[in-house]
Amino acid sequence: MVRIKVEKPKVHKSVALHIKAITTAFKEAISPGTITIHYPRERRKLPDNFRGLLQLDKEKCINCFRCAHICPANAIQMYQRENKYYPGIDYTKCILCHFCVDSCPTAALKPSKIHDVAFASLSTMVLPPEELAGEPEMWREDTVTVEYDFDGDLKMIKRKEVENLIVEVEKPKRPEFVAGAAFPENCIACRICVNSCPQNAITFKLQDLQTMVLEIDFEKCTGCMVCIRNCPTQTLLPFRREEVLKGGESDEQG
Amino acid sequence: MNKVDVKLWKIPIPEKPPECRFDWTKERPERVERCKYFGNLKAVVIDKGICSHCGTCYICPVRGIVVEDKPIDFPNWRKDCIDCGACIRVCPRYDYTPLNGLGEYIEAVAGKSKRFKGQDGAMVSEFMAGALEMGIIDVALFVARDEEFKPYVVHITDPDQLKDERITGTKYSFASVMPELHDSIKHVRAVGIIGTPCMISGLRKLQKVVPLYKQKVKLAIGLFCTENFYHWQLKEFLEGRGIDLRKAVKTDIKKGNFIVTYDTGEEFSIPVKEMEEIVPDGCKVCQDFSAVEADASVGSVGSKKGFSSVLIRSETAKEIFEYLKEKDYIEVGEVKIDVIKRLCDYKVKIHPYPKG
Amino acid sequence: MVDVSGIVSGIVEKIFAALTANMVNIPILEPLINKLLQIPLVNLVVAFILWKPAFVILFVPGLLAVTVVLLIMIWWERKLTARIQWRVGPKEVSRRTGGIIQTLADGMRYMFQEVIIHRDAHKLYFLQLPILSFIPVLLPILLIPAGTIYAIRSPYAIQIAVALTALLPIFILGIGWSANNRFAFIGTVREAFLYVAYEIPLMIAVLSMVLLYKSGDPFVIVEKQWIPGIFMNPIAFIAFLIGMVMAAGRLPFDISEADQEIAFGPFVEYSGIIFGLVMGIAYEKLYLLSLIAAILFFGGWSGPEIAFLGELSYAIWLFLKAFVLMGFIVMVRAIYGRYRLDQALKFGWSSLLTFSLIGFFISAGWVIWLG
Repeated sequence: MVRIKVEKPKVHKSVALHIKAITTAFKEAISPGTITIHYPRERRKLPDNFRGLLQLDKEKCINCFRCAHICPANAIQMYQRENKYYPGIDYTKCILCHFCVDSCPTAALKPSKIHDVAFASLSTMVLPPEELAGEPEMWREDTVTVEYDFDGDLKMIKRKEVENLIVEVEKPKRPEFVAGAAFPENCIACRICVNSCPQNAITFKLQDLQTMVLEIDFEKCTGCMVCIRNCPTQTLLPFRREEVLKGGESDEQG
Repeated sequence: MNKVDVKLWKIPIPEKPPECRFDWTKERPERVERCKYFGNLKAVVIDKGICSHCGTCYICPVRGIVVEDKPIDFPNWRKDCIDCGACIRVCPRYDYTPLNGLGEYIEAVAGKSKRFKGQDGAMVSEFMAGALEMGIIDVALFVARDEEFKPYVVHITDPDQLKDERITGTKYSFASVMPELHDSIKHVRAVGIIGTPCMISGLRKLQKVVPLYKQKVKLAIGLFCTENFYHWQLKEFLEGRGIDLRKAVKTDIKKGNFIVTYDTGEEFSIPVKEMEEIVPDGCKVCQDFSAVEADASVGSVGSKKGFSSVLIRSETAKEIFEYLKEKDYIEVGEVKIDVIKRLCDYKVKIHPYPKG
Repeated sequence: MVDVSGIVSGIVEKIFAALTANMVNIPILEPLINKLLQIPLVNLVVAFILWKPAFVILFVPGLLAVTVVLLIMIWWERKLTARIQWRVGPKEVSRRTGGIIQTLADGMRYMFQEVIIHRDAHKLYFLQLPILSFIPVLLPILLIPAGTIYAIRSPYAIQIAVALTALLPIFILGIGWSANNRFAFIGTVREAFLYVAYEIPLMIAVLSMVLLYKSGDPFVIVEKQWIPGIFMNPIAFIAFLIGMVMAAGRLPFDISEADQEIAFGPFVEYSGIIFGLVMGIAYEKLYLLSLIAAILFFGGWSGPEIAFLGELSYAIWLFLKAFVLMGFIVMVRAIYGRYRLDQALKFGWSSLLTFSLIGFFISAGWVIWLG
C-alpha cells in the first residue's frame, strides 16, 4: 500500500484559504460568470454545415441510389413512387454522418440545423420520402441567439434574433465525374447501362443488323455511377468531367 | 487470414480520356434461328447435346442462365433474355471444332508436392500456392466438397488454406467455377482458376471476346479429363451399387476403374465402362484429354504412384515451376509421355465428332 | 333543574377571558380581530389562535415559520449553490419568480406519491418515527420566546431546548434500524459516530454562553447583550456554528445522509409524503439551532420596533436573524466538499472540542473580569 502524505498547512495559511474560499463564494453569488444557455428560449448559433436532420428535394432527385449505397449505417431505403425511387431515412439507424449529402450528385439531399428532435414512437422514426421532403413541424420558443466568443476570456454574445434552421448551403466544390467507356472492347452489348441510366444519357442505335452504336451524352451525365456499378464487364469507368471536356491528360487518380 | 487489398477499392481512371463524346460500336453475332440469342444457343448447343456444362455462358448480364447440377437452361428466356448475344459469343461449343492430342508444351515432367496432400502429387495445389506466393494472382478459385461430396467453389487467398483435404482432390462432378469467376471478376485484381479442358476452352474464348478476363485471369490450370458427371446422377448410380458417397474421402479413376475410398480405408471399384449410361452427352463429343489450351495441364496418367504428370505450356507456368523447384517445394520425377499420348488417342476414339 | 346552558356558558366565558387575557397584540389587525371577537364560537377560535402559547406553536416561531423555512430555504439553497457554481438552478416552475414555488411543487408531488413500505421494514416504527421526530422539534419551540410572545418561561429554557434537540438523532437511529437496509444501517452507524463528536462541543459552546450571561432564561440573555454575544465570545460562536452545521447534517458534514455515497442513508427506503417529512428533519433542526444561535449571539429579538405589527415585530426580528444565519449555512454547501467520517470525527474530537473549551474559558474570563 502506498500512503500519500499530504503536507499539513500552517494554521494561519489554512485560515487564509478558508477565508479565500468563502470570499470567492460570495463574489460568485453576487456576480456569477455563468456561460449557460437557457436552451429552449435561447439557442446557440450553429455553423452552416451543421449535421442535423436531412431534407430531400424530390425535384432534383434522379434516383441514382448513391445515398443508399454509401450509407454506412444502412439507414437509407429507397421507396418506389411513380416509377421512380426516392430515399427515405430510418432515423433509428441514421448516425447523421451526412455521407449521403456529400455523395448526392444533384444536391437533392440537403442538410439542416435541426438537431433537437422528438418522435412519437419508433415507427415514426422511419421517414418515407414524402415526410423527408417537407419542412418538419417545429415549435420555436427561442428569441435569442447566443454565440460564444473564444478570444481571450470566454464570453457570450447574445443577439435578439431568431436563427433560420433550414439553410441553403452551396454545394462545396469537389471533382465531378462522368461515366466513360474506358474499355469499349470489353462491352458485350448487353445495354444494361442504357436501361439503368436515370438521366437517359446513354443511348444506342443499330447501325445495321449486326452492329450497334452506344453513345454517352456528357451534358446529361451526372456522374451517379449507376451504369458503372451495373456494367458486368467493367467497360465503363468514371472520368473527371473537366479533364474529359478539356480533352487533356489527367494526372491525378482518385 | 484474408488480407484486404486496398488497391481493390480504388476507382481506376484511365489515363487518356477519349474524345468529348464516348461512343463505341459493337459487332453482334449472326443469328442461326430467327429468335433471341439464347434460342440460338439452345438450338445449336444444348438441344443438340454437345453442351459440355462448362458454365461460361453464365456471363449473361441478367444472370438468367442457370448453371446448376442439371443441363444448362434459361427458364422463361423468351421474355427475360435481353438479346445481347454474349452467351453464344463465349460458348466454346457454339462453333465447335474438337481439339485433341497433347497440344503444344514446353516441358513435360512429373512432380510430387512436399507441402500438400492431394489426389496424386498435389501439383495443382502446389502451382496455385506458388502463384499466390509469387504474387501473380490474388485469389485462386478451388473446388471444395461438402458432406455429400457435392462440389462448391472456394476462394483461396492464402496457401495455408490448401491444407484442408476437402479442397484438394478430384470430385468428378460439374462445379460452378465459371459462374463464380463471372460473379467475382469485377472485385479481384488477378485470379487463377482450375478447370476441366472444356472450362479452359470456354475461358480462352471468353478472353478473346472480353479482354477484361484476359487482364484478370492470370493462370488457368487444366486437368486431364475423360469424362465428368452430374453430381446427383453419380450419387444415385453409386447408391445403386451400395456405395455411400457421404462416407467417401477420395474418388479416383485408375486403369479404367472408378475407385471410391471410404474413411475407414475400404475401397470400392467399378469399371468405367459400366458408367457409360450416366456420362453426359456433352462429354461424349469431347476429344480434349489434356487441356490443350491451359497454362499447365496436370493429371495422374503417365507417372509413378504419388506423382502427378505436368505439361507446362506457357511461360507463366514455367516460371512458377522453376520457383517451386528453387524453393524445394516439390520432388521432380520422370513422365512417360507415350502413355498420355495413348490416352489422348483413346479419348478421340471413344468420343467421335461429329457423331455417327 | 340545573341550568346546564348557564353552566356551560359560564365555563366558556371563563375560558374566553383566560384566553383574551394573554393575547398577541397586533395593531394592524386590531379592527378585524375586534369584529371577529363579537361573533360567538368564532371568537373562541380566534382567541385560541391568538392565545400566546398557541400562537407560538402555530405561527412564530412554530409550525408556520417552519413551513416557510422549508419552502424557501430549500429553494434558496439550490438557487444559491447553482449561482456560485455557474449553473441556473430550478427555474421552470413559475419562471418569472425564478422558480420560487419549486419546493411547493416538489411537496405536492410527495403528497400524491405512493408510500411504499417494503417487506423487510419494521412497519410500525418505520411509519411512526418520522412523525414522532416532530416532538423534539416542536417542544423546544415552546421554550424559545419571540419577544413578549412566549409559552413557557424558565431559567433553564436554553439548556432544555438544546437538550431536546439533541434527542433528534435518537429518532434517526430508530428510523435507520426500522428501515432494515444496508445503506440505512451504514448511515445510522455514521450518525451514531458523529453524534457524540459534535454534541459535546455544541453543548459546551451553549453552556459557555449561558455562563457568560449567568442565566439560561432567554429574556435575561437578550437583556444582557449590550453588544451582540458574537463579539463577546467569537470563539464560542465559531464552535457553535460548526457544531450546528454538523448537527443539522449540512453539506461538509452530511456524512450520515451522503446521497452520492449511500443514497440518503437512513432515509433510503422512504417515499411519498413520509420522505418529505424525513427530508425536512434536517432543516427543522437547522432552524431550531439557528433560533438558539440568534438568541445567544445576535441579541435575539432586539431591534427597532415596527409600530403597526406590535408584538409581532419582535418575532419577525428573531425570525429574520435566524433566517440570515441559515442562509449563510446552506451556502457552505457550495464552498466545501464532504468530509470523510474519520476526518469529521478527528475534527470534532480535536479542533472543535478545543475551540469550545477555549470559548468556555473566555466566558469564564469575562465573568471574572466583569464580576
